[in-house]
Amino acid sequence: MSAHPETLIAIFVMALAAMLAKGGGFLAMRWLGRHRFVVAVLDHAPGAVLVSAAVVPLTQSGGAFVAGAVAAAVVTRTFGGFTPGLFAAVGAVALTRWAGLA
Amino acid sequence: MSLSARVTWRSFQAGALRMIFPGLASLPFGIGFGVAAAQKGLSAFETTLMSFTVMAGTSQMVALDIWAQPLPLIALAVSVFVANLRYFVMGAALQPHLPHLPWWLQPPVWYVTVDQNWALNIAEYRRGEGDLGKFLGGGAIMACIWSGSTLLGHLAAGGVLSDPGTARRFGLDFVAIAVFVVVATIMFRGKRDLTPWAVAIAAALASKWLIGGNWYIVIGGLAGGFYGALRDTYFKKRDVRPS
Repeated sequence: MSAHPETLIAIFVMALAAMLAKGGGFLAMRWLGRHRFVVAVLDHAPGAVLVSAAVVPLTQSGGAFVAGAVAAAVVTRTFGGFTPGLFAAVGAVALTRWAGLA
Repeated sequence: MSLSARVTWRSFQAGALRMIFPGLASLPFGIGFGVAAAQKGLSAFETTLMSFTVMAGTSQMVALDIWAQPLPLIALAVSVFVANLRYFVMGAALQPHLPHLPWWLQPPVWYVTVDQNWALNIAEYRRGEGDLGKFLGGGAIMACIWSGSTLLGHLAAGGVLSDPGTARRFGLDFVAIAVFVVVATIMFRGKRDLTPWAVAIAAALASKWLIGGNWYIVIGGLAGGFYGALRDTYFKKRDVRPS
């Protein structure tokens, strides 16, 4: 177990920057308060963040990921809950690759 | 303290258990980071400490990219902050659900605000079923898996574990994205979400194409959020005609 003081300082600075980004939005909301427009933005932002995070890898990674996404959406819609959709998605990706379809 | 801010050992455990599988999604990336950190000359302890305290893979990878002697502290801080800007939006969305959170619980909540853990818990908060214990438990297990996987990568640098093909064969490289798709499906409220989500998708694709990096999450999220808010507040108000 070894550590250089300079590296430890760099790690501390990085951890601080990450916490600032994570906590910044949380703290900013305290000052912005519950303005009607801000509330409306935050009503839509989570869903928008999720689809934005998913769409780029889906368009870049080809058929197997698209099959996985379709399986995830269909199984989650049909059976409800988190776990069945997740397993269906991973299974669909593995199966698509195994079958040589993507 | 509001109900949404309660923490029990039982809910902490439940949150930790359900995030084990999504947490495993970070294994290939974590192993990859460990290998890269070893190549940059970081010790196993430094690699694990960085992963546990920063707990944001993309920004750590970006930091490794500019890692050089003497260490550029300001550049490291700025790059980590910018690479994590999506968490700024996520934290802002979380705050209205935890308005009376005690000050001493706020840093742990910020710490566990990571993609999959946030996604799953914000969906529950919006349904009125949020549980801070589950949120903290999920984050704790994700921190352990992430740190452990980077340590594993560091120790096995160059070995079979650093082969991303193994995870790929079992579809594990898709788990992180699958979490987003599943949670988005759960959160989907029908027609009222269609256009904000379409705007978010268009903005995300455009920013990926024009800017690159991982700005697309922040830009897409803000574009969809602002469009939906404008539609719900300004445009709808203009449609109201006096009788």
